[in-house]
Amino acid sequence: MRLEKTRLFLQDHTIMSAQIDPKLLEILVCPLTKSPLRYDAPAQELISDQAGLAYPIRDGIPIMLVDEARQIEK
Amino acid sequence: MVNAAPPSSVFDLEARKCARIRCVNTLPAHDFLFKWTQNVLLERLSDIKRQFPRSALLGGRTSPDFSDALKIQAGSDFLTKMDILPGAGVNVVGEEEFLPFRQGALDAVFSVLDLHAVNDLPGALLQIRRSLRPDGLFLAALFGGETLHELRASLMQAELSLKGGIAPRIFPFADKPQMGALLQRAGFSLPVVDSEILSVSYDNIFKLMHDLRFMGESNVIAARSKTNPGRALFLKAAEHYGKNFKGLDGRLNASFEIIFLIGWAPHESQQQPLAPGSAQKRLSDALQTAEVKIDND
Repeated sequence: MRLEKTRLFLQDHTIMSAQIDPKLLEILVCPLTKSPLRYDAPAQELISDQAGLAYPIRDGIPIMLVDEARQIEK
Repeated sequence: MVNAAPPSSVFDLEARKCARIRCVNTLPAHDFLFKWTQNVLLERLSDIKRQFPRSALLGGRTSPDFSDALKIQAGSDFLTKMDILPGAGVNVVGEEEFLPFRQGALDAVFSVLDLHAVNDLPGALLQIRRSLRPDGLFLAALFGGETLHELRASLMQAELSLKGGIAPRIFPFADKPQMGALLQRAGFSLPVVDSEILSVSYDNIFKLMHDLRFMGESNVIAARSKTNPGRALFLKAAEHYGKNFKGLDGRLNASFEIIFLIGWAPHESQQQPLAPGSAQKRLSDALQTAEVKIDND
Protein backbone atom coordinates (compact mmCIF):
# COMPACT_ATOMS: atom_id res chain seq x y z
CA MET A 1 0.00 0.00 0.00
CA ARG A 2 2.70 2.44 1.00
CA LEU A 3 4.77 1.39 -1.96
CA GLU A 4 1.82 2.08 -4.23
CA LYS A 5 1.47 5.58 -2.75
CA THR A 6 5.15 6.25 -3.26
CA ARG A 7 4.88 5.09 -6.83
CA LEU A 8 1.92 7.36 -7.48
CA PHE A 9 3.69 10.28 -5.87
CA LEU A 10 6.77 9.67 -7.97
CA GLN A 11 4.65 9.42 -11.08
CA ASP A 12 2.88 12.72 -10.33
CA HIS A 13 6.19 14.27 -9.54
CA THR A 14 7.65 13.09 -12.81
CA ILE A 15 4.78 14.51 -14.79
CA MET A 16 5.08 17.81 -12.96
CA SER A 17 8.84 18.12 -13.23
CA ALA A 18 9.70 16.87 -16.67
CA GLN A 19 7.36 16.82 -19.62
CA ILE A 20 8.49 15.03 -22.71
CA ASP A 21 9.39 17.45 -25.49
CA PRO A 22 6.56 17.37 -28.08
CA LYS A 23 9.09 17.85 -30.88
CA LEU A 24 10.89 14.72 -29.75
CA LEU A 25 7.60 12.83 -29.51
CA GLU A 26 6.95 13.73 -33.14
CA ILE A 27 10.06 11.97 -34.46
CA LEU A 28 10.15 8.88 -32.23
CA VAL A 29 9.09 5.43 -33.44
CA CYS A 30 9.44 1.92 -32.02
CA PRO A 31 13.13 1.01 -32.43
CA LEU A 32 12.22 -2.60 -33.21
CA THR A 33 9.36 -2.27 -35.71
CA LYS A 34 9.71 1.44 -36.68
CA SER A 35 5.95 1.72 -36.17
CA PRO A 36 4.28 4.77 -34.57
CA LEU A 37 4.06 5.05 -30.80
CA ARG A 38 1.10 5.90 -28.58
CA TYR A 39 1.89 8.32 -25.74
CA ASP A 40 0.30 7.21 -22.49
CA ALA A 41 0.74 10.35 -20.40
CA PRO A 42 -0.60 9.07 -17.02
CA ALA A 43 1.59 5.96 -17.18
CA GLN A 44 4.50 7.88 -18.72
CA GLU A 45 4.96 5.24 -21.38
CA LEU A 46 5.35 5.13 -25.13
CA ILE A 47 3.42 2.17 -26.46
CA SER A 48 4.29 0.25 -29.58
CA ASP A 49 1.18 -1.76 -30.47
CA GLN A 50 2.96 -3.62 -33.23
CA ALA A 51 5.79 -4.85 -31.02
CA GLY A 52 3.58 -5.21 -27.95
CA LEU A 53 6.03 -3.17 -25.91
CA ALA A 54 5.74 -0.14 -23.64
CA TYR A 55 8.84 2.02 -23.41
CA PRO A 56 9.16 3.93 -20.12
CA ILE A 57 9.68 7.67 -19.89
CA ARG A 58 11.84 8.56 -16.91
CA ASP A 59 12.18 12.21 -15.91
CA GLY A 60 10.93 13.23 -19.33
CA ILE A 61 13.52 11.07 -21.10
CA PRO A 62 12.14 8.22 -23.23
CA ILE A 63 14.08 4.99 -22.72
CA MET A 64 13.90 3.43 -26.19
CA LEU A 65 15.68 0.21 -25.26
CA VAL A 66 13.94 -3.06 -26.05
CA ASP A 67 15.36 -4.78 -22.97
CA GLU A 68 13.98 -2.08 -20.68
CA ALA A 69 10.53 -2.08 -22.26
CA ARG A 70 7.50 -3.65 -20.59
CA GLN A 71 5.82 -6.42 -22.52
CA ILE A 72 2.10 -5.90 -23.01
CA GLU A 73 -0.22 -8.91 -22.93
CA LYS A 74 -2.35 -9.06 -26.03
CA MET B 1 12.10 -8.75 -20.95
CA VAL B 2 12.91 -9.30 -24.58
CA ASN B 3 16.40 -10.13 -25.63
CA ALA B 4 17.06 -8.16 -28.78
CA ALA B 5 20.78 -8.82 -29.12
CA PRO B 6 21.67 -11.51 -31.64
CA PRO B 7 23.61 -14.44 -30.17
CA SER B 8 26.73 -13.56 -32.15
CA SER B 9 27.22 -10.10 -30.58
CA VAL B 10 30.78 -8.81 -30.64
CA PHE B 11 30.15 -6.24 -27.92
CA ASP B 12 28.29 -6.73 -24.67
CA LEU B 13 25.77 -3.90 -24.22
CA GLU B 14 25.48 -4.44 -20.46
CA ALA B 15 29.27 -4.21 -20.10
CA ARG B 16 29.25 -1.14 -22.34
CA LYS B 17 26.72 0.52 -20.03
CA CYS B 18 28.76 -0.45 -16.94
CA ALA B 19 31.94 0.97 -18.45
CA ARG B 20 30.08 4.20 -19.12
CA ILE B 21 28.50 4.41 -15.67
CA ARG B 22 31.92 3.88 -14.08
CA CYS B 23 33.45 6.77 -16.00
CA VAL B 24 30.78 9.40 -15.24
CA ASN B 25 32.92 11.25 -12.69
CA THR B 26 36.29 10.73 -14.35
CA LEU B 27 35.31 11.58 -17.94
CA PRO B 28 35.66 15.39 -17.68
CA ALA B 29 39.38 15.02 -16.89
CA HIS B 30 39.96 12.36 -19.56
CA ASP B 31 37.84 13.50 -22.49
CA PHE B 32 40.63 15.04 -24.60
CA LEU B 33 39.87 12.77 -27.58
CA PHE B 34 36.21 13.75 -27.51
CA LYS B 35 37.08 17.46 -27.22
CA TRP B 36 39.52 17.26 -30.12
CA THR B 37 37.09 15.32 -32.30
CA GLN B 38 34.08 17.53 -31.61
CA ASN B 39 36.11 20.59 -32.59
CA VAL B 40 37.16 19.00 -35.88
CA LEU B 41 33.55 18.00 -36.51
CA LEU B 42 32.41 21.60 -36.01
CA GLU B 43 35.10 22.74 -38.44
CA ARG B 44 33.92 20.23 -41.04
CA LEU B 45 30.36 21.37 -40.53
CA SER B 46 31.34 25.00 -41.03
CA ASP B 47 32.35 24.07 -44.61
CA ILE B 48 28.78 22.98 -45.32
CA LYS B 49 26.68 26.05 -45.98
CA ARG B 50 23.29 24.59 -45.19
CA GLN B 51 20.71 24.71 -42.44
CA PHE B 52 19.61 21.54 -40.67
CA PRO B 53 16.52 22.44 -38.62
CA ARG B 54 16.02 19.01 -37.01
CA SER B 55 19.12 17.06 -36.06
CA ALA B 56 20.28 14.25 -33.81
CA LEU B 57 23.57 13.66 -32.01
CA LEU B 58 24.47 10.03 -31.29
CA GLY B 59 26.82 9.40 -28.37
CA GLY B 60 26.72 10.95 -24.93
CA ARG B 61 30.30 11.77 -24.09
CA THR B 62 30.57 15.12 -25.83
CA SER B 63 30.58 18.13 -23.53
CA PRO B 64 27.26 19.97 -22.98
CA ASP B 65 28.57 23.13 -24.65
CA PHE B 66 29.20 21.07 -27.79
CA SER B 67 25.46 20.53 -28.24
CA ASP B 68 24.93 24.30 -28.17
CA ALA B 69 27.79 24.93 -30.61
CA LEU B 70 26.50 22.19 -32.88
CA LYS B 71 23.01 23.67 -32.87
CA ILE B 72 24.35 27.05 -33.91
CA GLN B 73 26.72 25.69 -36.55
CA ALA B 74 24.07 23.37 -38.03
CA GLY B 75 21.32 26.00 -37.81
CA SER B 76 19.19 23.54 -35.84
CA ASP B 77 16.26 24.68 -33.77
CA PHE B 78 15.88 21.14 -32.47
CA LEU B 79 18.76 18.81 -31.56
CA THR B 80 18.15 15.52 -29.81
CA LYS B 81 21.08 13.87 -28.06
CA MET B 82 20.86 10.09 -27.87
CA ASP B 83 22.98 7.80 -25.72
CA ILE B 84 22.78 4.29 -24.29
CA LEU B 85 22.41 5.85 -20.83
CA PRO B 86 20.61 8.88 -19.46
CA GLY B 87 23.10 11.62 -18.67
CA ALA B 88 24.02 15.25 -19.09
CA GLY B 89 22.15 16.76 -22.00
CA VAL B 90 20.80 13.38 -23.17
CA ASN B 91 17.12 13.59 -24.08
CA VAL B 92 16.53 10.14 -25.49
CA VAL B 93 18.06 6.81 -24.50
CA GLY B 94 18.54 4.36 -27.34
CA GLU B 95 20.85 2.02 -29.20
CA GLU B 96 22.44 2.94 -32.51
CA GLU B 97 21.46 -0.37 -34.11
CA PHE B 98 17.84 0.00 -32.95
CA LEU B 99 17.42 3.65 -33.85
CA PRO B 100 14.10 5.07 -32.56
CA PHE B 101 13.67 7.79 -35.21
CA ARG B 102 10.90 7.97 -37.81
CA GLN B 103 11.86 7.56 -41.46
CA GLY B 104 12.89 10.88 -42.99
CA ALA B 105 12.37 12.74 -39.70
CA LEU B 106 15.81 14.32 -39.44
CA ASP B 107 17.78 16.85 -41.49
CA ALA B 108 21.12 15.80 -40.05
CA VAL B 109 22.63 13.10 -37.85
CA PHE B 110 25.93 13.66 -36.06
CA SER B 111 28.00 11.22 -34.05
CA VAL B 112 31.17 11.64 -32.02
CA LEU B 113 33.30 8.57 -31.12
CA ASP B 114 30.33 6.33 -30.53
CA LEU B 115 29.83 3.95 -33.46
CA HIS B 116 32.95 1.82 -32.84
CA ALA B 117 31.22 -0.27 -30.15
CA VAL B 118 28.14 -1.06 -32.21
CA ASN B 119 27.55 -4.73 -33.07
CA ASP B 120 25.76 -4.24 -36.34
CA LEU B 121 27.48 -1.23 -37.93
CA PRO B 122 26.02 -1.78 -41.45
CA GLY B 123 22.55 -1.99 -39.88
CA ALA B 124 23.12 1.13 -37.77
CA LEU B 125 24.29 3.12 -40.83
CA LEU B 126 21.27 1.95 -42.82
CA GLN B 127 18.93 3.07 -40.05
CA ILE B 128 20.70 6.43 -39.81
CA ARG B 129 20.28 6.92 -43.57
CA ARG B 130 16.60 6.02 -43.34
CA SER B 131 16.04 8.49 -40.50
CA LEU B 132 17.28 11.29 -42.78
CA ARG B 133 15.10 13.20 -45.19
CA PRO B 134 16.34 13.22 -48.82
CA ASP B 135 19.51 15.33 -49.03
CA GLY B 136 19.98 15.03 -45.26
CA LEU B 137 23.50 14.98 -43.84
CA PHE B 138 25.33 12.32 -41.86
CA LEU B 139 28.56 13.58 -40.29
CA ALA B 140 30.36 11.32 -37.86
CA ALA B 141 33.68 10.46 -36.27
CA LEU B 142 34.69 7.05 -34.94
CA PHE B 143 37.82 5.19 -33.90
CA GLY B 144 39.60 3.47 -36.79
CA GLY B 145 41.79 0.39 -37.28
CA GLU B 146 45.10 2.01 -36.30
CA THR B 147 43.77 2.84 -32.85
CA LEU B 148 45.87 1.38 -30.02
CA HIS B 149 47.79 -0.90 -32.37
CA GLU B 150 50.80 -0.64 -30.04
CA LEU B 151 48.83 -1.79 -27.00
CA ARG B 152 47.15 -4.52 -29.04
CA ALA B 153 50.51 -5.90 -30.21
CA SER B 154 52.07 -5.67 -26.74
CA LEU B 155 49.21 -7.42 -24.96
CA MET B 156 49.13 -10.07 -27.67
CA GLN B 157 52.87 -10.75 -27.41
CA ALA B 158 52.76 -10.84 -23.62
CA GLU B 159 49.80 -13.18 -23.51
CA LEU B 160 51.28 -15.48 -26.14
CA SER B 161 54.57 -15.81 -24.32
CA LEU B 162 52.96 -16.29 -20.87
CA LYS B 163 49.87 -18.32 -21.69
CA GLY B 164 50.37 -19.63 -25.19
CA GLY B 165 47.06 -18.14 -26.37
CA ILE B 166 45.31 -14.79 -26.59
CA ALA B 167 42.04 -13.28 -25.45
CA PRO B 168 40.45 -10.30 -27.23
CA ARG B 169 41.45 -7.17 -25.33
CA ILE B 170 41.37 -4.35 -27.87
CA PHE B 171 38.29 -3.67 -30.04
CA PRO B 172 38.20 -4.86 -33.65
CA PHE B 173 38.00 -1.33 -35.11
CA ALA B 174 36.80 -0.76 -38.68
CA ASP B 175 39.34 0.43 -41.27
CA LYS B 176 39.03 3.51 -43.41
CA PRO B 177 38.44 1.63 -46.73
CA GLN B 178 35.83 -0.55 -45.02
CA MET B 179 33.97 2.54 -43.83
CA GLY B 180 33.74 3.91 -47.37
CA ALA B 181 32.24 0.64 -48.55
CA LEU B 182 29.84 0.52 -45.60
CA LEU B 183 28.58 4.04 -46.29
CA GLN B 184 27.83 3.11 -49.88
CA ARG B 185 26.23 -0.14 -48.86
CA ALA B 186 23.97 1.78 -46.49
CA GLY B 187 22.81 3.88 -49.45
CA PHE B 188 24.59 7.16 -48.73
CA SER B 189 25.48 9.25 -51.75
CA LEU B 190 28.60 11.40 -52.17
CA PRO B 191 30.41 9.59 -49.33
CA VAL B 192 33.68 11.05 -48.06
CA VAL B 193 35.92 9.19 -45.61
CA ASP B 194 39.20 10.42 -44.21
CA SER B 195 41.14 9.90 -41.03
CA GLU B 196 43.68 11.48 -38.76
CA ILE B 197 46.05 9.67 -36.46
CA LEU B 198 46.66 11.26 -33.08
CA SER B 199 49.81 10.20 -31.30
CA VAL B 200 49.51 10.57 -27.56
CA SER B 201 52.52 10.08 -25.29
CA TYR B 202 52.41 8.36 -21.92
CA ASP B 203 54.87 7.67 -19.06
CA ASN B 204 53.85 4.03 -18.99
CA ILE B 205 51.12 1.69 -20.21
CA PHE B 206 49.30 1.80 -16.89
CA LYS B 207 48.64 5.52 -17.39
CA LEU B 208 47.32 4.72 -20.86
CA MET B 209 45.02 2.00 -19.56
CA HIS B 210 43.75 4.31 -16.82
CA ASP B 211 42.97 6.94 -19.42
CA LEU B 212 40.98 4.42 -21.46
CA ARG B 213 39.04 3.24 -18.43
CA PHE B 214 38.36 6.79 -17.20
CA MET B 215 36.96 7.82 -20.59
CA GLY B 216 34.67 4.76 -20.57
CA GLU B 217 36.61 2.70 -23.09
CA SER B 218 37.38 -0.43 -21.12
CA ASN B 219 37.06 -3.83 -22.76
CA VAL B 220 33.39 -4.62 -23.51
CA ILE B 221 33.96 -7.37 -26.07
CA ALA B 222 31.46 -10.16 -25.39
CA ALA B 223 34.14 -12.87 -25.72
CA ARG B 224 36.57 -11.06 -23.41
CA SER B 225 38.38 -13.08 -20.79
CA LYS B 226 36.51 -12.66 -17.51
CA THR B 227 39.28 -13.90 -15.27
CA ASN B 228 41.82 -11.52 -13.78
CA PRO B 229 44.72 -11.57 -16.22
CA GLY B 230 47.22 -11.09 -13.41
CA ARG B 231 49.99 -8.60 -12.91
CA ALA B 232 52.54 -10.61 -14.85
CA LEU B 233 50.70 -10.12 -18.14
CA PHE B 234 50.68 -6.34 -17.87
CA LEU B 235 54.31 -6.18 -16.74
CA LYS B 236 55.30 -8.29 -19.73
CA ALA B 237 53.17 -6.11 -22.03
CA ALA B 238 54.77 -2.99 -20.56
CA GLU B 239 58.17 -4.42 -21.33
CA HIS B 240 57.23 -5.15 -24.95
CA TYR B 241 55.62 -1.72 -25.33
CA GLY B 242 58.68 0.06 -23.95
CA LYS B 243 61.00 -1.85 -26.25
CA ASN B 244 59.01 -1.26 -29.45
CA PHE B 245 56.95 1.90 -29.19
CA LYS B 246 59.09 4.45 -27.41
CA GLY B 247 59.30 7.98 -28.81
CA LEU B 248 62.47 10.07 -29.04
CA ASP B 249 61.65 11.71 -25.72
CA GLY B 250 61.61 8.34 -23.98
CA ARG B 251 57.84 8.35 -23.53
CA LEU B 252 55.49 5.75 -24.95
CA ASN B 253 53.48 6.49 -28.06
CA ALA B 254 49.82 5.50 -28.30
CA SER B 255 48.00 6.00 -31.60
CA PHE B 256 44.35 6.91 -31.95
CA GLU B 257 42.97 6.91 -35.47
CA ILE B 258 39.86 9.04 -35.83
CA ILE B 259 37.87 8.34 -39.00
CA PHE B 260 35.58 11.09 -40.26
CA LEU B 261 32.54 10.18 -42.34
CA ILE B 262 30.34 12.37 -44.48
CA GLY B 263 27.40 10.97 -46.41
CA TRP B 264 24.15 12.33 -47.77
CA ALA B 265 20.74 10.74 -48.09
CA PRO B 266 20.17 10.51 -51.88
CA HIS B 267 18.29 13.31 -53.64
CA GLU B 268 17.77 14.10 -57.30
CA SER B 269 19.45 17.50 -56.96
CA GLN B 270 22.79 15.84 -56.19
CA GLN B 271 25.27 15.35 -59.00
CA GLN B 272 24.68 12.06 -60.82
CA PRO B 273 27.02 10.06 -63.04
CA LEU B 274 26.13 10.23 -66.76
CA ALA B 275 25.26 7.06 -68.61
CA PRO B 276 28.28 5.46 -70.34
CA GLY B 277 28.54 6.55 -73.97
CA SER B 278 26.48 9.72 -73.43
CA ALA B 279 29.44 12.15 -73.74
CA GLN B 280 28.91 15.10 -76.11
CA LYS B 281 32.58 16.01 -76.57
CA ARG B 282 35.71 13.99 -77.27
CA LEU B 283 38.23 13.62 -74.47
CA SER B 284 41.06 14.22 -76.95
CA ASP B 285 39.56 17.67 -77.77
CA ALA B 286 39.43 18.62 -74.09
CA LEU B 287 43.04 17.54 -73.62
CA GLN B 288 44.05 19.15 -76.97
CA THR B 289 45.87 16.04 -78.05
CA ALA B 290 45.68 13.63 -80.97
CA GLU B 291 43.62 10.47 -80.54
CA VAL B 292 45.60 7.26 -80.90
CA LYS B 293 43.79 4.02 -81.60
CA ILE B 294 44.97 1.03 -79.60
CA ASP B 295 45.02 -2.37 -81.28
CA ASN B 296 43.25 -5.00 -79.24
CA ASP B 297 45.38 -7.96 -80.24
